[in-house]
Amino acid sequence: MDQLDATFTALADPTRRAIVARLAEGDATVNELAAPFDMTLPGISKHLKVLERCGLISRTRRAQFRPCHLERQALDAAAGWIEENRRTWAQRFDKLGAHLRDIQQAPSPDGTASQGKEGQARE
Amino acid sequence: MSDQAPGVGELIYTRVFDAPRELVFRCMIEPEHLTHFWGPAGVSTPLENIKVDPRPGGIFETVMVNDADGSQYPMRAVYAEVAEPERLVWTEPGTGMTTTSTFSDLGGGRTEVRIHQVNVPEAFRSPEAQAGFATSLDRFAAYLAALPGD
Repeated sequence: MDQLDATFTALADPTRRAIVARLAEGDATVNELAAPFDMTLPGISKHLKVLERCGLISRTRRAQFRPCHLERQALDAAAGWIEENRRTWAQRFDKLGAHLRDIQQAPSPDGTASQGKEGQARE
Repeated sequence: MSDQAPGVGELIYTRVFDAPRELVFRCMIEPEHLTHFWGPAGVSTPLENIKVDPRPGGIFETVMVNDADGSQYPMRAVYAEVAEPERLVWTEPGTGMTTTSTFSDLGGGRTEVRIHQVNVPEAFRSPEAQAGFATSLDRFAAYLAALPGD
């Protein structure tokens, strides 16, 4: 949970989300990342440190360019939690829709009346 | 409940059903209905394990069972508000997550259900996360999903 927390916290910032979106297209150096954002290098570096700390990106030690790399597993974990919850409700609603059709349209084989109009006593 | 402070971490889902509002509302609070739809695909919600006491402070408990391997997913919640047939609010003490269901009569026997969840999950409560999550997490998920793959 700590890792997921840190990931969501890091992604709460729009600039960091933009950096992540850029890195999803491929590795990039700090200079390349700074260019479209109209930010100073120290400003970008600060954001990169947050992303690095939560494991969303990694930086190679190679030379002075140190390209940033998006770690997709960390991103997938965050997206996964939200997606799972969304899917649960979507499927629950699918079933509810089918259930509502069943009880409104077809009287059940045992002769129970539709509950659409009259309703059912609460227990 | 609707003027609850936003920005903690929200999820919003809506769906329109071809059914009168009173009936849709009852489906959400009666075990005989819940057992038919509460579990997502491949997951059952046995009637005998659904406990519903629809009044403020009353319990809302289910045990969902995975049809494939029998894994159980218990849910324990307490109702905060029961305003038939417009609104239903429950909180899960384990996570602090609050779910508000709003039922809108669209006319012509159609009903819109809007699920609004806040405090998702408890761990989002850092000030930084709260500030950033004013927007819907649902849209955020779509954004993440739209990112190009490797």
